[in-house]
Amino acid sequence: MNDTTPSPPTAPGKFDPKAAKQISDWAHDAKLLCCRVDPTGKYVVAGAIDYTIQRWEIATGNKTPLVGHENWVRMLGFSPDGSTLYSGAYDGRMIAWDITAQSPKPQRTIQTHQGWLRGLAVSHDGHRIATCGNDMLVKIWSTADGKLIHEMQGHPYLPYCVQFVPGSCDLVSGDIMGLVIQWSAEGGTKVREFDAREIASHVGDRAPFGGIVNMTFSPDKKRLTVTGLHKCSNAPAGNRRAVAMSFDWASGEKLPKQECNQKEIDATMWRAVYHPSGTMIGVIEKEIGFWEGGNIDTVHLAATPEHIFDCDLHPNQVDLYTAHFDGHVRCLRCGTI
Amino acid sequence: MTLEQYKPCGTLDHGIGRRQFMGEFLTGLGAVAGTSLFSHPLGATEIAQKNKSVVVIYLNGGLSQFESWDPKSDLETGGPFKSIPTTVPGIRISELLPYTAKQMHHMALIRSISTDLDDHGLANNIVRSGRTTRSATEYPELGAVVAKNLERDDFPLPGHIRTMVGGSGGRTNNAAYLGPRYASVSVGAEKGGIVNTQLPDGMTVTADNRRHDWRRFVNNRYRAKVQSTEIDAYLQCFEQALRLMEKRELFDIAHESKAIQEAYGASEFGKQLLLARRLVEQEVPFVEISHDGWDFHHNNFEFHYHYVADFDRPFAHFVDDLHQRGLLERTLVIVMTEFGRTPKINAGYGRDHYPNAWSIAMAGCGIQHGAVIGKTDAKGIEVTDRKVDHRHLFHTYLQAVGIDSSGEFEIGGRKFPIADPAYGPIEELLA
Repeated sequence: MNDTTPSPPTAPGKFDPKAAKQISDWAHDAKLLCCRVDPTGKYVVAGAIDYTIQRWEIATGNKTPLVGHENWVRMLGFSPDGSTLYSGAYDGRMIAWDITAQSPKPQRTIQTHQGWLRGLAVSHDGHRIATCGNDMLVKIWSTADGKLIHEMQGHPYLPYCVQFVPGSCDLVSGDIMGLVIQWSAEGGTKVREFDAREIASHVGDRAPFGGIVNMTFSPDKKRLTVTGLHKCSNAPAGNRRAVAMSFDWASGEKLPKQECNQKEIDATMWRAVYHPSGTMIGVIEKEIGFWEGGNIDTVHLAATPEHIFDCDLHPNQVDLYTAHFDGHVRCLRCGTI
Repeated sequence: MTLEQYKPCGTLDHGIGRRQFMGEFLTGLGAVAGTSLFSHPLGATEIAQKNKSVVVIYLNGGLSQFESWDPKSDLETGGPFKSIPTTVPGIRISELLPYTAKQMHHMALIRSISTDLDDHGLANNIVRSGRTTRSATEYPELGAVVAKNLERDDFPLPGHIRTMVGGSGGRTNNAAYLGPRYASVSVGAEKGGIVNTQLPDGMTVTADNRRHDWRRFVNNRYRAKVQSTEIDAYLQCFEQALRLMEKRELFDIAHESKAIQEAYGASEFGKQLLLARRLVEQEVPFVEISHDGWDFHHNNFEFHYHYVADFDRPFAHFVDDLHQRGLLERTLVIVMTEFGRTPKINAGYGRDHYPNAWSIAMAGCGIQHGAVIGKTDAKGIEVTDRKVDHRHLFHTYLQAVGIDSSGEFEIGGRKFPIADPAYGPIEELLA
């Protein structure tokens, strides 16, 4: 399978985390749960708890609402060419939007899951979308016609997130108790499992806590990194530490966990992304952490004004957009252009 | 000081009660000083029916009213869960309660509770006692008051029982001036029910009876010389403990059929509910089940997703089972908690303590089924209609099972109002 991700529209900037500074701050009036930058670098979009998606034009800061969901908008993903936005929400629906339209309207709405849709990922060739939800299922959909291709059962607990394997049709899904399953996207069959139970916790016999909230692959495709929390001492009070846990993709062996030891923060690492240089960027509460070369601790922490629930890197490779609890999308320039 | 020299002063601060003693018997734990027995039961005419029971399901930590009885779907404060219809037209509750929704015709909701304490311990105290304690006086909890009023003299079981998971034992001095006879006795819902109630290896029934005969003989001889309420309490305690041993199978849910056990579910909560049903069948006046851990300052929605599911199906089955067996007509079920949760969602997607506007649910006897008392505003921030507090609720619980809450206890020559005399029941809720 060819990776059709387009080249960055502008030459990459010089990445320097320690020079990170905020360059933009755009506000919405509802809390934001997720954000993505389109692959052409023109827009940043964010999902909100007022059921809308907000689109900001990066050049101007102009904001446009996308209305169609009927519950919190939890996940976003772009087609590789940046023309289509796919959104997933707690209404169990996935909606496809022509993001280039002046006022985007739902192009296709699919009831993907019974209950919440929790995870969504677009394949690297743009032909497929994976979702997971409260019905305990992982599903693969065709972007061409919206039809269901595969429906996979196998997670004993709620699956939280999905991700396509780079350069492959395969898929990984992670659940609330720390199980990662690799699926063959061609046959929808289980290929292997990864045990990340260390980043899951449990409250009595009633409620799991933590689990895999996000997954990503390193740029060299050698590491699968899952993020979440560990060292939970009081779950209902939120006492826990953020963590990223990686596996050697070829062997499946666990690699040293990445934490934030230079500052004690009660946090979940809601997302980590890799810079092409190999530096991992993770959001931990109000901070953005940078881990170089698989080091276990951060080389730098950049503070922001509010809790962060998602982030995405602009194609220029230095601008990091973050979605915040206060309804703002902020951009942190991590270097120079 | 010898026992012969000891003359109780008759104050409320001395003495050891039989319930307390029995708690030690059951657990082997050390003693905690209780209060002595000076109370006189109310006249029979003041009690409408003696065979009624109250079951409190205590959701410890603070259930969110938004994620249960008073959903505010599609609003900023409402969270991501929708409301669903129930068997009572016009009443909607959280989608997290699909099974309970099918029992709403046996239930009533109070959506307009406003109290002023947001500390767990203090709030717990006021909702259980129906009083706001501003002096040194301690008030008996609902369980003690119900047991005092509904327990029959010949009743072989404790009148105030708390179920617990993983064995038995432990007690709390929650009867205040009513004395330890009405304090709660904790029993387990696991196999065997009550620990330490089997005769030790090598002890035959005949030998056990002989030693009890000897104990009674010695006690009676001593009792003839010394007047002591403490001695009475010990004697009562021994005898009730023996009766409890004879009834130990009541506390063993393994005696229920597999189908019934499966219907209540394998969870700790389901097992406790099944035990509660067995105790209600025996006309135990008051049973409390605790479902702990509802204090979700963080991750409120994920936790409620799991916790309410753990509650919903067993609870709904419990109500239905009581109804099918004809027990709901004489049983009041209260889903109690100490306060609600904030309309404001905090940065950890949690909700904090909120006593200003919250809800409880009730089912069973003495109440108008399908009633909803009070309202909150659109966002659930303030009570807008029929504001009530823990004192109104306390009166209402008692009246629903036929106890005149305007009455008094006469204890040691002093009179104590059963419930706060400045308040009364929610009349329109009573059947």
